[in-house]
Amino acid sequence: MTKLIIRRLFWTIPVILLVVFVTFMMMRQIAGNPFRTSERVIPEAIQRNLEQKYGLDKPWYIQYATYVKNVATFDLGPSLVLRNRTVNDIVKTHFPVSMELGLYAMLFAILFGVPLGILSALRANSWFDYAAMTFSNIGYAVPSFLVATLLIYYFALQWGGTFNFPTSGWNTWESKVLPTVALGLGPMAYFARLVRGTMLETLQQEYVRTASAKGIRWHRVVVVHVLRNSLIPAVTAAAPLLGFIITGSFVIEQIFAIPGIGRYYVTAVNARDYSVVMGLTVLLSVLIVIANMVVDILYGVLDPRTRDART
Amino acid sequence: MRIKTLWLLLAMLVASLALVAAGCGGDDGGDAAGTGTEQEEQEGGGDLAAEQVITVNWGTEPPSLDPGLATDTTSSNILTNIMDPLIKLDDELNPVPYLAESIEASEDGLTYTIVLREGGKWTNGDPVTAGDFEYAWKRTISPELAADYAYQLYGIKGAQEYNGCEENCDALRDEVGVRAVDDRTLEVTLTSPQPWFPQQLAHHSFLAVHQETVEQHGENWTEAANIVTNGPFRLETWEHNSRIDIVKWDEWRDADSVTLTRVNGRMISDATTSVQAFEAGEVDVTSGLPPEEIPRLKETDGYQQYPGLGTYYYGVNVNTVTDVNQRRAMALAIPRQSIIDNIAQADQLPATGFTPDGIPGFDTINPESPYLPPEGDMDRAKELMEQVESPKTDINLVINDSPGHREIAVAVQAAWSELGLNVNIRQQEWAQFLEAVSPAGNNVDVYRLGWIGDYVDAYNFLELWTCESGNNGSNYCNEEYDELLRRVTSGELESDEDRYEVYGQAEDIILGEDGDMPILPIYWYTYVYLEDPSIQDTFNINTLSQIDLTKVQVRETD
Repeated sequence: MTKLIIRRLFWTIPVILLVVFVTFMMMRQIAGNPFRTSERVIPEAIQRNLEQKYGLDKPWYIQYATYVKNVATFDLGPSLVLRNRTVNDIVKTHFPVSMELGLYAMLFAILFGVPLGILSALRANSWFDYAAMTFSNIGYAVPSFLVATLLIYYFALQWGGTFNFPTSGWNTWESKVLPTVALGLGPMAYFARLVRGTMLETLQQEYVRTASAKGIRWHRVVVVHVLRNSLIPAVTAAAPLLGFIITGSFVIEQIFAIPGIGRYYVTAVNARDYSVVMGLTVLLSVLIVIANMVVDILYGVLDPRTRDART
Repeated sequence: MRIKTLWLLLAMLVASLALVAAGCGGDDGGDAAGTGTEQEEQEGGGDLAAEQVITVNWGTEPPSLDPGLATDTTSSNILTNIMDPLIKLDDELNPVPYLAESIEASEDGLTYTIVLREGGKWTNGDPVTAGDFEYAWKRTISPELAADYAYQLYGIKGAQEYNGCEENCDALRDEVGVRAVDDRTLEVTLTSPQPWFPQQLAHHSFLAVHQETVEQHGENWTEAANIVTNGPFRLETWEHNSRIDIVKWDEWRDADSVTLTRVNGRMISDATTSVQAFEAGEVDVTSGLPPEEIPRLKETDGYQQYPGLGTYYYGVNVNTVTDVNQRRAMALAIPRQSIIDNIAQADQLPATGFTPDGIPGFDTINPESPYLPPEGDMDRAKELMEQVESPKTDINLVINDSPGHREIAVAVQAAWSELGLNVNIRQQEWAQFLEAVSPAGNNVDVYRLGWIGDYVDAYNFLELWTCESGNNGSNYCNEEYDELLRRVTSGELESDEDRYEVYGQAEDIILGEDGDMPILPIYWYTYVYLEDPSIQDTFNINTLSQIDLTKVQVRETD
């Protein structure tokens, strides 16, 4: 197990370097002037001053090398567009907000999606199952920004008297409910369907029939034998779902005016704020790599077969 | 054993999340909602409400609140309210002395002597001196600061040289034409006579900064904990990308004239959400309304419209669309009023020239172009088109990707197809769009842009079409036109009227009867806001999109 972890950690570094390199090249390829925000052309002298200040007048390989060196010392550089802020600063202030939103959405998805899937599987082909799966399909198909706007319209505006949800912001606990639901609905639907599918499959297995025939209480059969094996695919699905939640949060943060990292990412790409884009890409790659690693470990814990095969 | 591990893990997960939720959930941090005003039927001009607090939606996070670095409208609006500008513009956009007590120009129009009022103070107690202005302006044009808006000060002698210097910079710095003669007197020397200079001083680039604070805190000097200001309001809270709250500063030199005690500011950038926030009563004023909602919002109490000093136009690449009659025909074919009524829908004014209505001297300047009839004139357009020997029939129309532009392009495409033109609309993302049209390359025939005035004089608009202007996307060059504008800064024109005459002639050259038509103006902008009835009569935007919060008062509504 430890060997596994160390090997994975070791491989993180080349992966992140590759991601940084590709992002670096892509950002340079898409052209556009980071210093030109409006239609007004920037006088040459000013353009030169700005390029000198941010080291953009050097050849690309020097820029890349400098950047990698800085990242190694955890210095993600100043923002090109937000002139009084550094990327470290931005990450420190806003990343926790996105983390919180993502965590709540994930929690919502798991706490509602998994039981829904389990119950649907246990009551397969009943009205409950059909209702739950229809709800899932809708939740999965409807884009999160539409869900977000509808939620605001109904819960914050139309029925604002009964519920106390604000239309936007991220301070009181009420303000966190709608964004969580909007972001978590898709993953919840995904989990429900996935868990239902794997449970149905597991329920067909020989050992389940055997256990039942041995006289073990059905409840214990489900919880002890069936559930454990059905949840494994759900765990493996969690890692890419994290990616979905991260990218989904860009839109949700924009709509609900949540001061998270997602908003910065989108505006930074449009504004060609190279350092912010690079810095956030590094951050997110590290996050996804760690998430994948955690999932792999969990997988090893849950499924002993993989443990032996791996090491 | 293994099941226990699983349940243990799950239990730990839930427990830790519960802890996290408990830790984070209880955080209120000064809720933005709650404005203390009533949302009932409007009754304008009533008594003052007990609580003079409003909540505005600033829209986006200001990239910087450093007067030397700020470039956008949000920063500008906050800065002109927390700082004390030398002059402000009145409702007719005339310069009115503000922190400056007097501004006098020399005979030759090259030197301005600005005398500051007594009583200007910084929030840390220091008096505001002329030296603060000298420091701030020289800092803005210094190459180290690399300020985007350094060019706003290029009218000052030596500024451009200093800004572009590679060596010997200290010497050049001393040559810059701004000098604090004493604590209250500032002497400014310009490169040429610029009669609009006093009005330019209303721009945020000309604000003073507190030297000690800037030097002590460096890049962080604008954070709420560090910033030192000198205006009617001061910055109390700045939670990045979340809120900016400003409060009345009781020690400002004219604090008695300010009614508002507090302005809470949200940063909701999504247009739909901002409308919903307004309708839920969470904000009292917001702008940047989604175009498709404007017809519905027009019918509500909160809708307010203001004329703007800006022109929405299509530029034509004169290198590829070479026949002037074709350009004139294209201008005639555009159904401006229909576009305004059906697409833009905010009662914009159809453009009959380039310089917009609202600029001083408009009546003299405006050419009432025969090629820009508001309803369009398809018959005359077709006539002219027939006179074109080898028309450019494949037209590449390049627009950027903000809402509304595509619909207008489609309307224009339909109109031009009647002239036998095959229009291909290319919509591009902003940064790439700018690269494509500055100036227009050979693969761009027509491009869409808007120009908003920096200061209140037609020069700001007309200089775009000079040969050397970097903003001349049409590749247009006419010596006669350049010569006219040269006369304006030469000092040979005596009065404002003379200057307006010359501007009128310049507009004639590009858009008059014999106009070259390097551009096809479409409409003049309006700004559209949603304002709570309790502040509607005092919350007013001027044509430069500025708000003066010292004039806002919350009324009782019952």
